[in-house]
Amino acid sequence: MNSDSEVRVIDAGAPPTRFARGWHCLGLADSFRDGTPHTVAAFGTELVVFAGEDGTLNVLNAYCPHMGGNLADGTVKGDSLACPFHDWRWNGKGKCTGIPYARRVPPLARTKAWPTLEQNKQLFVWNDPENKQPPADITIPRIAAAFDDEWTDWTWNSMIVEANCREVVDNVVDMAHFFYVHYGFPTFFKNVFEGHIASQYMTSISREDMMGETAKALGGKNTLHSEASYYGPSYMIDYLRSDSADLSVEGYLINCHYPITENRFVLQYGAIAKKPQGVSPERAEQIAASFVGGLGKGFEQDAAIWKRKSRINNPLLCEEDGPVYQLRRWYEQFYTDVADISEEMTARFEFEVDTTRAVTAWEAEVAENLAKRAEQAVAG
Amino acid sequence: MNEVSCRSCGTCVLVEKFSPQHTSVQWSRSAMRACTELSRPGTHAHTCTALRESIDAAVQSGQLSVSTRDVDVRTRGRTVA
Repeated sequence: MNSDSEVRVIDAGAPPTRFARGWHCLGLADSFRDGTPHTVAAFGTELVVFAGEDGTLNVLNAYCPHMGGNLADGTVKGDSLACPFHDWRWNGKGKCTGIPYARRVPPLARTKAWPTLEQNKQLFVWNDPENKQPPADITIPRIAAAFDDEWTDWTWNSMIVEANCREVVDNVVDMAHFFYVHYGFPTFFKNVFEGHIASQYMTSISREDMMGETAKALGGKNTLHSEASYYGPSYMIDYLRSDSADLSVEGYLINCHYPITENRFVLQYGAIAKKPQGVSPERAEQIAASFVGGLGKGFEQDAAIWKRKSRINNPLLCEEDGPVYQLRRWYEQFYTDVADISEEMTARFEFEVDTTRAVTAWEAEVAENLAKRAEQAVAG
Repeated sequence: MNEVSCRSCGTCVLVEKFSPQHTSVQWSRSAMRACTELSRPGTHAHTCTALRESIDAAVQSGQLSVSTRDVDVRTRGRTVA
Protein backbone atom coordinates (compact mmCIF):
# COMPACT_ATOMS: atom_id res chain seq x y z
CA MET A 1 0.00 0.00 0.00
CA ASN A 2 1.61 3.25 -1.06
CA SER A 3 1.46 6.43 1.03
CA ASP A 4 -1.01 8.07 -1.40
CA SER A 5 -3.81 5.80 -0.20
CA GLU A 6 -3.05 6.03 3.54
CA VAL A 7 -5.81 7.85 5.34
CA ARG A 8 -4.80 10.13 8.17
CA VAL A 9 -6.74 9.29 11.33
CA ILE A 10 -7.25 11.84 14.06
CA ASP A 11 -5.69 10.88 17.37
CA ALA A 12 -8.00 12.62 19.82
CA GLY A 13 -6.39 11.08 22.90
CA ALA A 14 -7.80 12.03 26.27
CA PRO A 15 -7.30 15.39 27.95
CA PRO A 16 -4.87 15.38 30.89
CA THR A 17 -6.41 14.62 34.29
CA ARG A 18 -4.37 17.29 36.04
CA PHE A 19 -4.88 21.04 35.63
CA ALA A 20 -2.26 23.60 34.63
CA ARG A 21 0.08 24.98 37.24
CA GLY A 22 0.00 28.76 37.21
CA TRP A 23 -1.90 31.97 37.85
CA HIS A 24 -5.50 31.93 36.65
CA CYS A 25 -7.67 35.03 36.45
CA LEU A 26 -11.08 34.66 38.13
CA GLY A 27 -12.42 38.04 37.08
CA LEU A 28 -12.43 41.71 38.03
CA ALA A 29 -11.35 42.06 41.65
CA ASP A 30 -14.11 44.45 42.67
CA SER A 31 -16.79 42.05 41.46
CA PHE A 32 -15.92 39.90 44.48
CA ARG A 33 -16.08 42.80 46.95
CA ASP A 34 -19.82 43.02 47.59
CA GLY A 35 -19.52 41.65 51.13
CA THR A 36 -20.79 38.16 50.27
CA PRO A 37 -18.91 34.93 49.47
CA HIS A 38 -18.83 33.76 45.82
CA THR A 39 -18.78 30.27 44.35
CA VAL A 40 -16.21 29.48 41.68
CA ALA A 41 -16.30 26.00 40.11
CA ALA A 42 -12.72 25.43 38.94
CA PHE A 43 -9.91 22.83 38.77
CA GLY A 44 -12.38 20.00 39.15
CA THR A 45 -13.58 21.29 42.50
CA GLU A 46 -15.45 24.20 44.08
CA LEU A 47 -13.84 27.28 45.51
CA VAL A 48 -15.19 30.14 47.56
CA VAL A 49 -13.96 33.72 47.09
CA PHE A 50 -14.66 36.32 49.78
CA ALA A 51 -13.38 39.68 50.90
CA GLY A 52 -12.69 40.06 54.60
CA GLU A 53 -13.45 43.26 56.50
CA ASP A 54 -9.88 44.34 55.72
CA GLY A 55 -10.69 44.23 51.98
CA THR A 56 -8.30 41.38 51.17
CA LEU A 57 -9.67 38.84 48.71
CA ASN A 58 -9.31 35.24 49.83
CA VAL A 59 -9.88 31.91 48.12
CA LEU A 60 -10.60 28.71 50.05
CA ASN A 61 -11.89 25.26 49.23
CA ALA A 62 -15.67 25.66 49.24
CA TYR A 63 -16.48 22.60 51.34
CA CYS A 64 -16.02 22.99 55.08
CA PRO A 65 -13.81 20.20 56.46
CA HIS A 66 -16.12 19.91 59.48
CA MET A 67 -19.21 18.34 57.89
CA GLY A 68 -18.91 19.41 54.25
CA GLY A 69 -21.10 22.51 54.33
CA ASN A 70 -20.66 24.92 51.42
CA LEU A 71 -18.89 28.05 52.64
CA ALA A 72 -20.11 29.98 49.61
CA ASP A 73 -23.55 30.00 51.25
CA GLY A 74 -22.06 31.37 54.46
CA THR A 75 -21.52 34.84 55.85
CA VAL A 76 -18.47 37.06 56.11
CA LYS A 77 -17.84 37.85 59.78
CA GLY A 78 -14.88 40.15 60.34
CA ASP A 79 -11.98 38.84 58.32
CA SER A 80 -13.34 35.29 58.38
CA LEU A 81 -16.02 33.36 56.53
CA ALA A 82 -18.61 31.57 58.66
CA CYS A 83 -19.99 28.26 57.44
CA PRO A 84 -23.81 28.23 57.07
CA PHE A 85 -24.01 24.74 58.60
CA HIS A 86 -22.47 25.19 62.10
CA ASP A 87 -20.89 28.66 62.01
CA TRP A 88 -17.27 27.48 61.98
CA ARG A 89 -15.09 30.50 61.11
CA TRP A 90 -12.33 30.31 58.48
CA ASN A 91 -9.81 33.03 57.67
CA GLY A 92 -7.94 33.76 54.43
CA LYS A 93 -5.05 31.53 55.48
CA GLY A 94 -7.40 28.56 55.83
CA LYS A 95 -7.14 28.57 59.62
CA CYS A 96 -10.21 28.00 61.76
CA THR A 97 -10.48 31.13 63.88
CA GLY A 98 -13.41 30.06 66.00
CA ILE A 99 -16.28 27.67 66.63
CA PRO A 100 -18.86 29.61 68.66
CA TYR A 101 -20.41 26.54 70.30
CA ALA A 102 -17.13 24.72 71.04
CA ARG A 103 -14.69 24.92 73.93
CA ARG A 104 -11.72 24.87 71.60
CA VAL A 105 -10.81 24.66 67.92
CA PRO A 106 -9.41 21.20 67.08
CA PRO A 107 -5.68 21.42 66.25
CA LEU A 108 -6.21 19.82 62.83
CA ALA A 109 -8.77 22.44 61.81
CA ARG A 110 -7.25 23.72 58.60
CA THR A 111 -8.68 24.04 55.11
CA LYS A 112 -6.91 24.83 51.84
CA ALA A 113 -6.23 28.50 51.19
CA TRP A 114 -5.33 29.12 47.55
CA PRO A 115 -2.60 31.73 46.90
CA THR A 116 -4.06 34.91 45.41
CA LEU A 117 -2.77 37.91 43.51
CA GLU A 118 -4.41 41.17 42.52
CA GLN A 119 -3.06 42.81 39.40
CA ASN A 120 -4.59 45.09 36.75
CA LYS A 121 -7.74 45.31 38.93
CA GLN A 122 -8.20 41.56 38.42
CA LEU A 123 -8.10 38.66 40.87
CA PHE A 124 -5.81 35.69 40.25
CA VAL A 125 -5.56 32.33 41.98
CA TRP A 126 -2.55 30.00 41.83
CA ASN A 127 -3.22 26.38 40.97
CA ASP A 128 -0.55 23.77 41.63
CA PRO A 129 -1.07 19.98 41.82
CA GLU A 130 2.22 19.86 43.76
CA ASN A 131 0.81 22.41 46.27
CA LYS A 132 3.90 24.61 46.30
CA GLN A 133 3.86 28.40 46.69
CA PRO A 134 4.15 30.46 43.49
CA PRO A 135 7.76 31.40 42.64
CA ALA A 136 8.47 35.15 42.75
CA ASP A 137 9.59 35.28 39.10
CA ILE A 138 6.33 33.79 37.81
CA THR A 139 3.87 36.63 38.01
CA ILE A 140 1.42 38.76 36.04
CA PRO A 141 2.78 42.03 34.58
CA ARG A 142 1.10 45.33 35.42
CA ILE A 143 -0.71 47.19 32.62
CA ALA A 144 -0.16 50.87 33.41
CA ALA A 145 -3.00 51.89 31.06
CA ALA A 146 -5.52 50.13 33.34
CA PHE A 147 -4.86 52.86 35.91
CA ASP A 148 -4.78 55.78 33.45
CA ASP A 149 -7.71 58.20 33.07
CA GLU A 150 -7.03 58.54 29.35
CA TRP A 151 -8.19 54.94 28.96
CA THR A 152 -11.66 53.45 29.44
CA ASP A 153 -12.36 51.01 32.27
CA TRP A 154 -12.36 47.24 31.77
CA THR A 155 -15.32 45.69 30.06
CA TRP A 156 -15.63 42.08 31.15
CA ASN A 157 -17.38 39.09 29.63
CA SER A 158 -17.55 35.47 30.56
CA MET A 159 -18.58 32.38 28.65
CA ILE A 160 -18.51 28.66 29.33
CA VAL A 161 -16.94 26.55 26.60
CA GLU A 162 -17.59 22.81 26.39
CA ALA A 163 -14.05 21.82 25.40
CA ASN A 164 -10.63 21.29 26.91
CA CYS A 165 -8.87 24.60 27.57
CA ARG A 166 -5.91 23.70 25.31
CA GLU A 167 -8.15 24.69 22.37
CA VAL A 168 -7.94 28.37 23.27
CA VAL A 169 -4.18 28.24 23.81
CA ASP A 170 -3.71 26.66 20.33
CA ASN A 171 -5.05 29.94 18.94
CA VAL A 172 -1.79 31.76 19.63
CA VAL A 173 -0.09 30.03 16.66
CA ASP A 174 -3.08 30.09 14.34
CA MET A 175 -2.38 32.67 11.67
CA ALA A 176 -4.73 31.30 9.02
CA HIS A 177 -7.88 31.54 11.12
CA PHE A 178 -7.52 35.33 11.24
CA PHE A 179 -8.53 35.40 7.58
CA TYR A 180 -11.47 33.00 7.81
CA VAL A 181 -12.81 33.70 11.30
CA HIS A 182 -11.76 37.29 12.05
CA TYR A 183 -11.66 38.71 8.51
CA GLY A 184 -8.11 40.02 8.55
CA PHE A 185 -5.05 39.45 6.28
CA PRO A 186 -1.91 38.85 8.35
CA THR A 187 1.04 40.47 6.60
CA PHE A 188 3.48 39.72 9.44
CA PHE A 189 3.13 36.90 11.96
CA LYS A 190 5.63 35.70 14.52
CA ASN A 191 5.59 33.43 17.56
CA VAL A 192 8.25 33.39 20.28
CA PHE A 193 8.11 30.84 23.12
CA GLU A 194 10.50 31.19 26.03
CA GLY A 195 10.28 30.19 29.68
CA HIS A 196 6.70 30.53 30.86
CA ILE A 197 5.80 33.11 28.18
CA ALA A 198 4.35 32.45 24.73
CA SER A 199 3.99 35.42 22.37
CA GLN A 200 2.42 36.32 19.08
CA TYR A 201 3.34 39.39 17.03
CA MET A 202 1.09 40.19 14.12
CA THR A 203 0.28 42.88 11.60
CA SER A 204 -2.86 42.38 9.57
CA ILE A 205 -4.95 44.41 7.17
CA SER A 206 -8.74 44.29 7.01
CA ARG A 207 -10.38 42.14 4.32
CA GLU A 208 -12.05 44.40 1.74
CA ASP A 209 -14.78 41.85 0.98
CA MET A 210 -15.85 41.32 4.61
CA MET A 211 -15.82 44.80 6.13
CA GLY A 212 -17.71 44.46 9.39
CA GLU A 213 -19.23 47.08 11.70
CA THR A 214 -16.05 47.32 13.75
CA ALA A 215 -13.93 48.03 10.70
CA LYS A 216 -16.39 50.70 9.58
CA ALA A 217 -16.36 52.23 13.10
CA LEU A 218 -12.56 52.29 12.99
CA GLY A 219 -12.53 54.34 9.78
CA GLY A 220 -12.85 51.69 7.07
CA LYS A 221 -9.76 49.97 5.71
CA ASN A 222 -7.33 49.58 8.59
CA THR A 223 -4.06 47.97 9.62
CA LEU A 224 -4.03 46.14 12.93
CA HIS A 225 -0.85 45.70 14.97
CA SER A 226 -1.10 43.13 17.73
CA GLU A 227 1.44 42.09 20.37
CA ALA A 228 0.10 39.33 22.56
CA SER A 229 1.66 37.16 25.24
CA TYR A 230 0.51 34.38 27.49
CA TYR A 231 2.10 34.86 30.90
CA GLY A 232 1.73 31.30 32.13
CA PRO A 233 -0.87 28.83 30.86
CA SER A 234 -4.02 30.90 30.94
CA TYR A 235 -3.69 34.71 30.94
CA MET A 236 -2.95 36.63 27.78
CA ILE A 237 -2.38 40.36 27.44
CA ASP A 238 -2.81 41.63 23.87
CA TYR A 239 -1.78 45.17 23.00
CA LEU A 240 -3.59 46.31 19.87
CA ARG A 241 -3.30 49.34 17.64
CA SER A 242 -5.56 49.93 14.67
CA ASP A 243 -4.50 52.53 12.08
CA SER A 244 -6.82 53.79 9.38
CA ALA A 245 -6.66 56.85 7.10
CA ASP A 246 -7.92 59.27 9.74
CA LEU A 247 -8.06 57.38 13.04
CA SER A 248 -5.68 55.49 15.31
CA VAL A 249 -7.12 53.45 18.16
CA GLU A 250 -5.11 51.68 20.87
CA GLY A 251 -6.37 49.03 23.23
CA TYR A 252 -5.47 46.19 25.54
CA LEU A 253 -7.41 42.96 25.33
CA ILE A 254 -7.25 40.36 28.07
CA ASN A 255 -7.99 36.80 27.00
CA CYS A 256 -7.96 34.41 29.94
CA HIS A 257 -9.55 31.18 31.07
CA TYR A 258 -9.76 28.73 33.91
CA PRO A 259 -10.77 25.07 33.71
CA ILE A 260 -13.95 23.86 35.39
CA THR A 261 -13.27 20.23 34.41
CA GLU A 262 -11.09 18.54 31.76
CA ASN A 263 -13.82 19.20 29.20
CA ARG A 264 -15.24 22.50 30.22
CA PHE A 265 -13.70 25.86 30.89
CA VAL A 266 -14.62 29.45 31.56
CA LEU A 267 -13.33 31.85 28.91
CA GLN A 268 -13.21 35.49 29.94
CA TYR A 269 -12.22 38.54 27.99
CA GLY A 270 -12.12 42.21 28.66
CA ALA A 271 -10.69 45.29 27.07
CA ILE A 272 -9.72 48.89 27.61
CA ALA A 273 -9.20 51.47 24.88
CA LYS A 274 -7.41 54.77 24.82
CA LYS A 275 -9.85 57.62 24.29
CA PRO A 276 -8.78 59.05 20.91
CA GLN A 277 -7.50 62.63 20.89
CA GLY A 278 -9.17 65.41 18.94
CA VAL A 279 -12.71 63.99 19.21
CA SER A 280 -15.48 64.83 21.69
CA PRO A 281 -15.63 62.73 24.92
CA GLU A 282 -18.88 61.13 23.72
CA ARG A 283 -17.36 60.20 20.36
CA ALA A 284 -14.26 58.88 22.14
CA GLU A 285 -16.39 56.59 24.32
CA GLN A 286 -18.27 55.44 21.22
CA ILE A 287 -15.10 54.55 19.35
CA ALA A 288 -13.69 52.76 22.39
CA ALA A 289 -16.95 50.81 22.80
CA SER A 290 -16.96 49.75 19.11
CA PHE A 291 -13.37 48.62 19.35
CA VAL A 292 -14.13 46.60 22.44
CA GLY A 293 -17.42 45.24 21.07
CA GLY A 294 -15.68 44.05 17.90
CA LEU A 295 -13.17 42.08 19.97
CA GLY A 296 -16.02 40.31 21.76
CA LYS A 297 -17.56 39.25 18.45
CA GLY A 298 -14.22 37.70 17.56
CA PHE A 299 -14.35 35.45 20.61
CA GLU A 300 -17.89 34.35 19.91
CA GLN A 301 -16.69 33.34 16.43
CA ASP A 302 -13.78 31.35 17.89
CA ALA A 303 -15.95 29.64 20.52
CA ALA A 304 -18.40 28.49 17.86
CA ILE A 305 -15.55 26.50 16.29
CA TRP A 306 -14.19 25.09 19.57
CA LYS A 307 -17.57 23.83 20.73
CA ARG A 308 -17.93 21.64 17.65
CA LYS A 309 -14.39 20.50 16.87
CA SER A 310 -12.53 17.36 17.90
CA ARG A 311 -9.50 17.32 20.13
CA ILE A 312 -6.53 16.42 17.87
CA ASN A 313 -3.11 15.36 19.11
CA ASN A 314 -1.61 14.75 15.66
CA PRO A 315 -2.48 17.78 13.52
CA LEU A 316 -1.65 17.43 9.83
CA LEU A 317 0.16 20.69 9.12
CA CYS A 318 1.03 22.41 5.86
CA GLU A 319 4.02 24.68 5.31
CA GLU A 320 1.92 27.78 5.91
CA ASP A 321 0.66 26.68 9.34
CA GLY A 322 2.07 27.91 12.62
CA PRO A 323 4.23 26.00 15.13
CA VAL A 324 1.52 23.88 16.72
CA TYR A 325 3.85 21.13 18.00
CA GLN A 326 6.28 23.59 19.54
CA LEU A 327 3.42 25.48 21.20
CA ARG A 328 2.11 22.28 22.74
CA ARG A 329 5.60 21.42 23.90
CA TRP A 330 5.77 24.83 25.66
CA TYR A 331 2.30 24.31 27.13
CA GLU A 332 3.25 20.89 28.48
CA GLN A 333 5.51 22.49 31.14
CA PHE A 334 2.39 23.52 33.06
CA TYR A 335 1.24 19.90 33.26
CA THR A 336 4.64 18.62 34.34
CA ASP A 337 6.08 18.53 37.85
CA VAL A 338 8.60 21.36 38.23
CA ALA A 339 11.54 18.99 38.71
CA ASP A 340 10.66 17.18 35.46
CA ILE A 341 10.40 20.21 33.16
CA SER A 342 12.72 19.59 30.20
CA GLU A 343 14.90 22.19 28.45
CA GLU A 344 12.81 21.59 25.30
CA MET A 345 9.71 22.98 26.99
CA THR A 346 11.26 26.30 28.00
CA ALA A 347 14.11 27.00 25.58
CA ARG A 348 13.49 29.92 23.24
CA PHE A 349 11.81 29.06 19.97
CA GLU A 350 11.04 31.54 17.19
CA PHE A 351 8.72 30.98 14.25
CA GLU A 352 8.05 33.61 11.63
CA VAL A 353 5.31 32.32 9.28
CA ASP A 354 5.28 32.72 5.51
CA THR A 355 2.54 35.32 5.27
CA THR A 356 3.26 36.52 1.78
CA ARG A 357 2.62 33.22 0.05
CA ALA A 358 -0.51 32.45 2.08
CA VAL A 359 -1.79 35.98 1.54
CA THR A 360 -1.47 35.64 -2.25
CA ALA A 361 -3.94 32.74 -2.24
CA TRP A 362 -6.30 34.70 -0.01
CA GLU A 363 -6.00 37.81 -2.15
CA ALA A 364 -7.36 35.71 -5.01
CA GLU A 365 -10.32 34.61 -2.89
CA VAL A 366 -11.11 38.19 -1.86
CA ALA A 367 -10.87 39.43 -5.46
CA GLU A 368 -13.20 36.64 -6.56
CA ASN A 369 -15.79 37.58 -3.92
CA LEU A 370 -15.66 41.25 -4.84
CA ALA A 371 -16.02 40.37 -8.54
CA LYS A 372 -19.04 38.10 -7.84
CA ARG A 373 -20.76 40.88 -5.88
CA ALA A 374 -20.11 43.40 -8.63
CA GLU A 375 -21.65 40.94 -11.10
CA GLN A 376 -24.73 40.44 -8.91
CA ALA A 377 -25.14 44.19 -8.46
CA VAL A 378 -25.15 44.67 -12.22
CA ALA A 379 -27.53 41.71 -12.83
CA GLY A 380 -29.97 42.76 -10.03
CA MET B 1 16.67 21.46 11.47
CA ASN B 2 20.14 22.66 10.47
CA GLU B 3 22.85 24.25 12.57
CA VAL B 4 23.67 27.88 11.87
CA SER B 5 26.38 29.83 13.68
CA CYS B 6 26.13 33.57 14.17
CA ARG B 7 28.85 35.39 12.20
CA SER B 8 29.01 38.01 14.92
CA CYS B 9 29.56 35.93 18.07
CA GLY B 10 29.60 32.29 16.99
CA THR B 11 26.49 31.27 18.94
CA CYS B 12 25.00 28.20 17.31
CA VAL B 13 21.25 27.59 16.84
CA LEU B 14 19.03 25.26 14.80
CA VAL B 15 17.21 26.76 11.82
CA GLU B 16 14.49 25.51 9.51
CA LYS B 17 12.81 27.19 6.55
CA PHE B 18 9.67 26.01 4.85
CA SER B 19 9.90 28.84 2.30
CA PRO B 20 12.04 31.90 1.61
CA GLN B 21 9.68 34.00 3.74
CA HIS B 22 9.57 31.60 6.68
CA THR B 23 12.19 31.03 9.40
CA SER B 24 12.13 28.87 12.53
CA VAL B 25 14.92 29.26 15.09
CA GLN B 26 15.42 26.82 17.93
CA TRP B 27 17.65 28.13 20.72
CA SER B 28 19.23 26.09 23.51
CA ARG B 29 19.85 27.43 27.01
CA SER B 30 23.56 27.77 26.32
CA ALA B 31 22.90 29.60 23.04
CA MET B 32 20.57 32.02 24.84
CA ARG B 33 23.27 32.78 27.39
CA ALA B 34 25.96 33.17 24.72
CA CYS B 35 24.06 35.49 22.38
CA THR B 36 25.36 39.01 22.95
CA GLU B 37 22.25 40.71 21.52
CA LEU B 38 19.59 38.64 23.32
CA SER B 39 21.21 39.01 26.73
CA ARG B 40 20.80 42.79 26.50
CA PRO B 41 17.51 43.82 28.18
CA GLY B 42 14.70 44.96 25.88
CA THR B 43 15.74 43.06 22.76
CA HIS B 44 13.82 39.91 23.56
CA ALA B 45 10.79 40.86 21.52
CA HIS B 46 11.66 39.47 18.10
CA THR B 47 15.09 38.19 17.28
CA CYS B 48 18.81 38.75 17.23
CA THR B 49 19.53 40.81 14.10
CA ALA B 50 23.10 39.53 13.75
CA LEU B 51 21.84 35.97 13.79
CA ARG B 52 19.13 36.78 11.26
CA GLU B 53 21.75 38.14 8.89
CA SER B 54 23.82 34.99 9.39
CA ILE B 55 20.81 32.88 8.53
CA ASP B 56 20.16 34.92 5.37
CA ALA B 57 23.81 34.52 4.40
CA ALA B 58 23.58 30.75 4.93
CA VAL B 59 20.54 30.63 2.63
CA GLN B 60 22.25 32.73 -0.05
CA SER B 61 25.37 30.58 0.01
CA GLY B 62 23.26 27.45 -0.37
CA GLN B 63 24.30 26.15 3.06
CA LEU B 64 20.70 26.24 4.23
CA SER B 65 17.84 25.19 1.95
CA VAL B 66 14.07 25.10 2.15
CA SER B 67 12.49 21.96 3.66
CA THR B 68 8.94 20.68 3.94
CA ARG B 69 6.56 19.90 6.78
CA ASP B 70 6.52 16.17 6.01
CA VAL B 71 8.93 15.33 8.82
CA ASP B 72 6.72 17.14 11.35
CA VAL B 73 3.65 15.42 10.09
CA ARG B 74 5.16 11.93 9.83
CA THR B 75 7.17 11.79 13.03
CA ARG B 76 5.81 14.20 15.64
CA GLY B 77 2.42 13.75 14.08
CA ARG B 78 1.96 10.25 15.44
CA THR B 79 0.93 11.19 18.95
CA VAL B 80 1.59 14.23 21.06
CA ALA B 81 1.54 13.72 24.82
